[in-house]
Amino acid sequence: MIPAYYEFANTAKVLSGEGAIENIPFELKNLRCGNALVITNKQLRGLGMVDHVLRVLADGGIAIGVLYDDVPVDSSVLVVNEVAGAFREQGCDCIVAVGGGSVIDTAKGVTIVLSSGAKDLMKVRGVDRLVGRYMTPFVAVPTTAGTGSEVTGAAVIKDTERHVKMAFASFNLVPDVAVLDPRMTLGLPQRLTGSTGMDALTHAVEAVSCRQANPLSDAYAATAIDLIREYLPVAVNEGHDKPARLAMANAALLAGVSFSNAMVGIVHAMGHACGGVANVPHGDAMAVLLPHGMEFNMDCAGPRYGELLLHLAGPDVYARTPKAERPAAAVAAVRALLDWLHERSGQPVTLAECGVTSDQLPAIAKLAADDGSIGMNPKDASVDELLAVLKAAL
Amino acid sequence: METEVRVRPGSAKAAKRALAAVVFAVLGRGLVACARLDSRVRAEVQSWPDGMVVTLAVAPRGPRTTVRKAGGRLEALGMRGDVEPTLLVTFKNVEAAVPVLIGMKGVLQSFAEHRASLAGDLALGMSLVRCLHIVEGYLFPDLMNRRILPRPATREAGHLRAYAGLLGRTAELAPSAAPAPDSTEGAVS
Repeated sequence: MIPAYYEFANTAKVLSGEGAIENIPFELKNLRCGNALVITNKQLRGLGMVDHVLRVLADGGIAIGVLYDDVPVDSSVLVVNEVAGAFREQGCDCIVAVGGGSVIDTAKGVTIVLSSGAKDLMKVRGVDRLVGRYMTPFVAVPTTAGTGSEVTGAAVIKDTERHVKMAFASFNLVPDVAVLDPRMTLGLPQRLTGSTGMDALTHAVEAVSCRQANPLSDAYAATAIDLIREYLPVAVNEGHDKPARLAMANAALLAGVSFSNAMVGIVHAMGHACGGVANVPHGDAMAVLLPHGMEFNMDCAGPRYGELLLHLAGPDVYARTPKAERPAAAVAAVRALLDWLHERSGQPVTLAECGVTSDQLPAIAKLAADDGSIGMNPKDASVDELLAVLKAAL
Repeated sequence: METEVRVRPGSAKAAKRALAAVVFAVLGRGLVACARLDSRVRAEVQSWPDGMVVTLAVAPRGPRTTVRKAGGRLEALGMRGDVEPTLLVTFKNVEAAVPVLIGMKGVLQSFAEHRASLAGDLALGMSLVRCLHIVEGYLFPDLMNRRILPRPATREAGHLRAYAGLLGRTAELAPSAAPAPDSTEGAVS
């Protein structure tokens, strides 16, 4: 069914393939930039991945005004404000983010602060409020294949005082250039490959069933799921398989474009809350909660899940499954992948395995009810209903 | 070639803006009335920080309505534009606002379609949305509510008491005993 009205944007230029990093200086010059602020974390620096990007920038005539390599596991308001201050002090004119979701989301927070002229991210919270403002040129180099943050208009940044993950959303947050180079994910550990892959899968599945699903976002989501079905097991088993790594990077990007336009729902609302209350890594929360969220939505999103079976399990399974059984089979396919990852890499399959305790569940449910994603879920969820889902996932 | 072309807004636009102004006024006072009548709205508003100002507006320079929580009271400030909002919901144009204001489209669907922007704390925005859903349950007939609300409307008082409550401009937020929510859709006391 086509929605009565929808908006769709995918404004990032995508560079995909080995050697893509070497083209970053050209893209920055194309954006009339010459003094970069590079954001990353110490772990990636230690692995030498950032040094390669720095060399490429220097060789290409791009000055590095600031190198910030202290981004924590969760993006935080304090870090965003600090980095924005350094950008201004050093007269930088662009941002290059090298890292996973937290690094790229930190960079998005910095662009919000810079573009709004504010000094504190907390003063410019909101959705779709960055209308018509100049945005700082921004290149994103993901080092995981999951968040899709390199092409999304969303950022999740933690308010460390309130222990709340805050969502920011605006089409203007989409980076100018997304660089998918398989060399950046070759060293990703097996366990992280699995959980980030499940994050991408969650984006695609939620995008298909959420309020603003549309023909364009559906197409991106379906292709993302096809790639995940085929290449996630390969990437987990053979971490140095470059085609599999590149395929997963593309899958994460496609799922990112999809959910950036169609939105995400109950799984992300609960996942953000699990991160805020119990510090559960985002990918782990998504992996555990996805089948439970699908079951909660089954009475209104079941037909959409039934269609997804083709992509989740492949044409043979789809063809031999009666139509009425396809929605449940889609959930079973997700569980089967999760179980396989559990056996192969120790991927948690319950919230308890992620460190969540039963006494934390009421606070998580309350926080999830206040998360913007819950409003985009196809079905309303009260605090009590969220608590029931969380108990089932514990 | 023509330059500096001036086009006057059509009369339909003016009518929509007038309609939006009227419904905004009703919605602002409706929120205050429900903070008096309904324990769920009162609990939501009590959780808001003191001094919080909520404004619903239509861009550009369209009608608006503002409510302010201060000193244990919720007050409807009407069209006043001299109060800086802590939570600002802005419809991109009057055509985006009218379907929501006359009960043809849900608030969440409007956000999903990017027809409105929100400036401020998104968690407080979700609290406001829950309040608006309850207020709509009082102000609109259930035929409309079934289309725009995420679940059937329940009321702790009748439509008539809510409409009568529109005459008041303030609500005291001190906790008070409230009847249990009516579990039947469309019940009127």
